[in-house]
Amino acid sequence: MSALTITDLSIDFPTTKGVVHAVSDLSLSVGRGRRVGFIGESGSGKTTTALAVMQMLAEPGRVAKGSIVLGDTDMLALNEEEMRKARLRRVSYIPQGAMNSLNPIMRIEDQLWDGITAHEGTTDRAELKRRSDEALESVGLPARVGRLYPHELSGGMKQRVCIALGVILTPDLIIADEPTSALDVVTQRHVMQTLKDVQAKIGAGLILIGHDMGLMAQSVDELAVLKDGVLVEHGETRQIIENPQHPYTRELISSVPLVGGESFLDDEIGAPPVNRGKPGVPLLEFKGVSKTYGNVTALQPMSFKLDGEVPKIISIVGQSGSGKSTMGSLMLGFNPPSTGQVLFEGQEIASMNAAKSLEFRKQVQAVFQDPYACFNPFYRVNHALRFPFKQFGYAKSEAHIQEKMEEACTAVGLDPALVLGRYPHQLSGGQRQRLIVARALMLSPKLLIADEPVSMVDASLRATILKNIYDLKDRYGISILYITHDLATAYHVSDYVIVLYQGHVAEAGPPEEVIGNPKHEYTQLLIDSIPWPDLDRSWGTPSTATEDAERLDRLARENKTEFRGRVPGFDLDVA
Amino acid sequence: MTDASMTRAERRRARRIRRFDNPWLNPKLFWGIGLLLGIVVLGILGRVFWDPELVFVGSGIPKLPPPGFENLRGQAGTFTNPLGTEGSGRDMLALIIIGAPNSLFVGLLASLIGMSIGIFLGFTSGFVGGRTDDVIRVLSDVMITIPPLLILVVFQSAFGDVSLTMMALLIAGFVWQSPTRLIRAQVLSMKQSGYVQMARLSGASTWHIMFKEMLPNLVPYLFGSFIANVTTSIVTAVGLEVLGLGPQRIPTLGRTIYEAINAGALIQNLWWWWGIPTLLLAVMFIGLLLINLGLDEVSNPRLRKLKL
Repeated sequence: MSALTITDLSIDFPTTKGVVHAVSDLSLSVGRGRRVGFIGESGSGKTTTALAVMQMLAEPGRVAKGSIVLGDTDMLALNEEEMRKARLRRVSYIPQGAMNSLNPIMRIEDQLWDGITAHEGTTDRAELKRRSDEALESVGLPARVGRLYPHELSGGMKQRVCIALGVILTPDLIIADEPTSALDVVTQRHVMQTLKDVQAKIGAGLILIGHDMGLMAQSVDELAVLKDGVLVEHGETRQIIENPQHPYTRELISSVPLVGGESFLDDEIGAPPVNRGKPGVPLLEFKGVSKTYGNVTALQPMSFKLDGEVPKIISIVGQSGSGKSTMGSLMLGFNPPSTGQVLFEGQEIASMNAAKSLEFRKQVQAVFQDPYACFNPFYRVNHALRFPFKQFGYAKSEAHIQEKMEEACTAVGLDPALVLGRYPHQLSGGQRQRLIVARALMLSPKLLIADEPVSMVDASLRATILKNIYDLKDRYGISILYITHDLATAYHVSDYVIVLYQGHVAEAGPPEEVIGNPKHEYTQLLIDSIPWPDLDRSWGTPSTATEDAERLDRLARENKTEFRGRVPGFDLDVA
Repeated sequence: MTDASMTRAERRRARRIRRFDNPWLNPKLFWGIGLLLGIVVLGILGRVFWDPELVFVGSGIPKLPPPGFENLRGQAGTFTNPLGTEGSGRDMLALIIIGAPNSLFVGLLASLIGMSIGIFLGFTSGFVGGRTDDVIRVLSDVMITIPPLLILVVFQSAFGDVSLTMMALLIAGFVWQSPTRLIRAQVLSMKQSGYVQMARLSGASTWHIMFKEMLPNLVPYLFGSFIANVTTSIVTAVGLEVLGLGPQRIPTLGRTIYEAINAGALIQNLWWWWGIPTLLLAVMFIGLLLINLGLDEVSNPRLRKLKL
């Protein structure tokens, strides 16, 4: 018997630009105890479908036709009060940003009790306590967590509390909307294992919404591939991954970069890299640099010399809070180091005068994580490209700027006629991020800091953007510091990899050594946590979660560094 | 999604919606600005087509009603004084022509000065931070708790007769706090935004970041805050005038109401004396309110409704 049956569902959004058909003619059923993954890019209608099941479509969306039947209830026929009763009890929703879904001024157990009393009326307090403790334990959290407030929990714990809340009334269907997108790989694995485990225990159907093929392969039984509101492929996970029929599905599968797998970069070698360094002086140098915020150590003392003579890509890899973004902001001179010196071509960044500082800005540029925030909404996107070009004195005339902008756009694979002269909100995230790369290209700095440049871009575009960045090195001789949490891409693009854990270098060396054959336990853990789009590869069991936590604890105390060989032109030292 | 897949009715509807796509073209804003412009136009055209000399005492028969009405003495209104006259024979129409723009002027000037102080202090506070920020924040927080009328009553009674500009200056001393706080908060959050970081990477000066990158994005907020301040300033000014403070020799709406109350216009049923200035003030406030609501739609796209 199926938990949920959707037949010919169409959802329309009337907007100022006309009616948008968010979902068209979607038919699908989710069996009891089955896990179904909805996969597709942003805007493909996966969340919209899920929200329609709960009658929670955002205004002005409406179901144009079709039916949604949960068990034997027609969900679209329920009135508001009946729907309220069905939510959580019959169908529960685990939201994307668990961080913001919990009430910050209520204890965890009070929030769990709220759910019970709203559906079952006032219940005996001891009974409530027993059930909330049970729910928390079912997601692997100790019962004392119930007495805590949300801010006292980590992101992964909060997400698990959300799962506990979702299963406390043993619903027939659980909808999990990208439950791990804000978490790093290690935590992601814990949370997904918890979710699978508890779902199997209560025997509910699960809809997992996501865009990561690897995660889907490791988590669900059936896959539904959506594109522009249309269900393009649906079937058993194994069948879809091993024998995809639709070209879009193939594209999704191939967009997951694999460690050791085929590179997504062309091997075709462009023009030989230009030598742009100053001989004898390292391009960038850290001398015993550390950074502390109050009594929190973000970065432990480290020293390195990066030679600019042969451009290189150095990857800095780690979980959130590992200090990798702190390194980036130190290099950009946004933050002064707590101890030590950051030198650019022999000059200390912190003590530069105005003229030196402008020269430094000319030579060190960045690509940030969030392509949505990088453009001033007030100006057309040209502003972001034209302003620095003028400011640094490269511009000869307006026509010269225009020509350069068009050239840069073409180089990153954008059609200048389509993107230039637009406002940022008219462009997609991928287009904006490529424009930022184009900006870097136009300014042609000696060093580029790329801080998670593709983590907020749709999976299918990631490879293209990374390739654009990679080209900067080969064709234009720009040295790049690639900051990321994604080991697979770091493996492919970089010449040298530094793995950071809690501000400390855990392992460093060429990518084939560090990522291809990790020696440090932390790197091994990171690699084990990556979900592979390969069903025969084990992703661990729920018990690994506790083991991992213990391992991480121990590693944090050990502070061991594994050096795995050198590359010419880059010297790293821990002290 | 494409035009071809839409029916004719849908296309027509989309066209109608698109016309309201520019948030600045919303009816509330139009009406609000229209009402305020009406008062300005009244002031300008009035001076051309009506005799402003009629605002002086004794220029007509006292307490004459508008045409078509009779006062308690049985005198009928004439078209010499289309809106009647007040207690000392001044023409009501001339009073409004001179008085209404005066009240608006005080409001606008006070708000303009207040906003300028607010922008300056808000940016300084948000940008410089540290001790400067503490001082400005505490100062504006303390000032926000002091009821302006209380202080102004004391001030004005000490000054005696003041000019309109002087009054605007005094009021401006009490309307800079909320823009200061608003701008400080916005600057603090914008300082962390990607485009400000990008501008820093582009070697932009602090000046450029403040006025070229941040300020344009603050415009809707500034407008909204400005209009709210105009309202507050007019309320304060009228409040003082009704108490008999403020300019003594220049006709204002508030002063006219003060005189009407003093002369017992309410019990003598001289409704045009206090009623007409009150009506004009009401028009002014409704105009300001509509502008504020309209601006709200500009800065907050969620409020934009699709009229289907």
